Amino acid sequence: MTSTPAARRTADSQLTLNEVGVNCDVRISSLNGPACERLRELGFCEQMQLRKISNGRNLVCTVCGAKMAISRELAEQVFVSPIR
Amino acid sequence: MSEVPSTVALVGNPNSGKSTIFNALTGKNQRVGNFAGVTVEVKTGETYNPHGKKLNVLDLPGCYSLRANSPDEKIALDALNGVLPGSAKPDLVVCVVDASNLERHLQLALQVIELGLPCVLALNMVDIAEKSGLRLDPAKLSEELGIPVVPMQANAGKGITELKQALRHPFPPPSAATWKAGENERREFITRLCELAARRPDSEQRTFSDKLDSLLLHPFLGWVALIVVMFTVFWAIFSFASIPMDLIDGALGSFGGWVETLMPPGDFRSLLVDGVIAGVGGVLVFLPQIILLFLFIGLLESSGYMSRAAFLMDGVMAKAGLSGKAFLPLFSSYACAIPGVMATRTIDSAKERLVTIFVAPWMSCSARLPVYFLIVPLLLGETEGSWKQALILFGIYALGTVTAFVVARILRGRLGPDKSANHFILELPSYRRPQWSYIFRHVIDRAWAFVRKAGTIILGLSILLWALATYPKTDSEDPGEILAHSAMGRIGAFIEPVVKPLGFDGRTGTAILTSFAAREVFVSSTAILFSVEETDDDVETRSLLRDRISAATWPDGKPLFTPLTMVSLLVFFIYALQCLPTTAVVAKESGSWKWAIGQFVFMSGFAYLASLLVFQAGRLMGF
Repeated sequence: MTSTPAARRTADSQLTLNEVGVNCDVRISSLNGPACERLRELGFCEQMQLRKISNGRNLVCTVCGAKMAISRELAEQVFVSPIR
Repeated sequence: MSEVPSTVALVGNPNSGKSTIFNALTGKNQRVGNFAGVTVEVKTGETYNPHGKKLNVLDLPGCYSLRANSPDEKIALDALNGVLPGSAKPDLVVCVVDASNLERHLQLALQVIELGLPCVLALNMVDIAEKSGLRLDPAKLSEELGIPVVPMQANAGKGITELKQALRHPFPPPSAATWKAGENERREFITRLCELAARRPDSEQRTFSDKLDSLLLHPFLGWVALIVVMFTVFWAIFSFASIPMDLIDGALGSFGGWVETLMPPGDFRSLLVDGVIAGVGGVLVFLPQIILLFLFIGLLESSGYMSRAAFLMDGVMAKAGLSGKAFLPLFSSYACAIPGVMATRTIDSAKERLVTIFVAPWMSCSARLPVYFLIVPLLLGETEGSWKQALILFGIYALGTVTAFVVARILRGRLGPDKSANHFILELPSYRRPQWSYIFRHVIDRAWAFVRKAGTIILGLSILLWALATYPKTDSEDPGEILAHSAMGRIGAFIEPVVKPLGFDGRTGTAILTSFAAREVFVSSTAILFSVEETDDDVETRSLLRDRISAATWPDGKPLFTPLTMVSLLVFFIYALQCLPTTAVVAKESGSWKWAIGQFVFMSGFAYLASLLVFQAGRLMGF
């Protein structure tokens, strides 16, 4: 098994938070990367529902009632699946 | 009453309302302590429980976890383990959580409970949670966590009495954590707990904050709003502050005059009037600006806008190798580098913080304005106030800012990456009505810190400068001659060869030298050196002074202040770090005198070289 994001994505049919469209509701399926501990502390935990608000250099999303801006590198470590 | 008071620690995420609860509990009985080697503050205060027992309250820095990721978290963990020097191990911990955001805030609360200390959960902001449709069940939470839970709305003072009730002796026993320690176990427990005790509505509706954000974070309109807000803040600081500043200035002038009439002429009167009152007063005059700046910063922070500004500015700051979090400190530095340097505490990355502290004094502060107001009209041969002068002033600000960004970028590159990667993470809290009591307390704290500084460092320096400018004495009555004879005048003559390549004579050199402790001193020193009578009106004094220095000549009759000399002087003032309080604050905040002295030497050297380059290049080009 290779572990590039692309390979993982094909295997699990998952998207990273960067690839989701704006105003989409998604559920976090896994976190993978050096910053996952930090992300979990901030509420980006597995099974958590989130909505992406905007794209850009830093993207904005709401997770468990809080609005968070995170960098694209961080969003790359958040794997999500669409809810609907 | 020999009983040792119990210690209660407040722990919580940033934005959980911890400080509001702390203020409500302790009222005025609080003080801020700094711990050696670190720069994060732990506030301590006192309160009484319903039985009248005294309790020491510690307000630990806001943090997301107890994993010691940042200086704040390290302090919090040390304090809870009782290993923080100067503070006792807490007998009870109050975990403050934002009820509208339990999934996240409970992470920290569980880690605290796992430490085995008696805990009380302060379930804050229940109003916001309920407004967003969350159905809270404090009883269920308490049952599952095994600790008392107090629902609160601290900013409206609701729940404080109940919290004090929960601080009764004997303290509740430590909870036997029913979850297993570990990230995954904790997370699963929290998900289950929130299903039970904090049910979220399924449909996500757009709140007021969301609607406001669609404007304020808009790629174009957001920038327009940011510029309008920042411009308003600047304009207000400069225009409103001038009223109390004139009052203070006038009051100090009359006070000096009154002291003068009370005492016979002599060294002691001169020390009091020209040294102490003029020196300390010259700095106290900036108090209104500092108060206004902190008022606006408090307003912007407490309303939730500041994090939006940081979000928008992140892209711009990245060009300087910094993040959006460096925006507020640098912006504040336009008013005064001291609050700016203090505001760097919110930056997670230690290296980014050091770089921000390093370049902050180049954001042209308000103390430089008197100097600019003196030189710029002279440069154009006009009286004060024209659009050309405003343009030059803008150029001066731009030059300082651009240089700061370039140096920040170079320095950030040289310091290398942080040990652990620091990604941009910023919470955008819901917009809230500003909490005036909190803002005022914050403003008073800062203003008092400034006044204290004026009373210590600046007082000492004023006396030193006065002594240098007074002794040894001569029989002459002419202030210019007295000064030339004094130690300061001799130093000026001595340094003339050093400043001559910049286009300055010994008098200007001396004026620059006197302004190294506080740059605005330049104007009053120049007035003394060029023998201008100071009047009550600053504008008039500056105008008289301009007449005098434009007529000043070198011994061979050539004019002393050519346009080129003045540009060279302006460049010097843009870059030189002439502010002793800033150096002291930098030493304290960076935790190293080496860094502070390095900054001072670098900026002074840079100012000298830049000024030299301007003057010599200008001369070669025939100006």
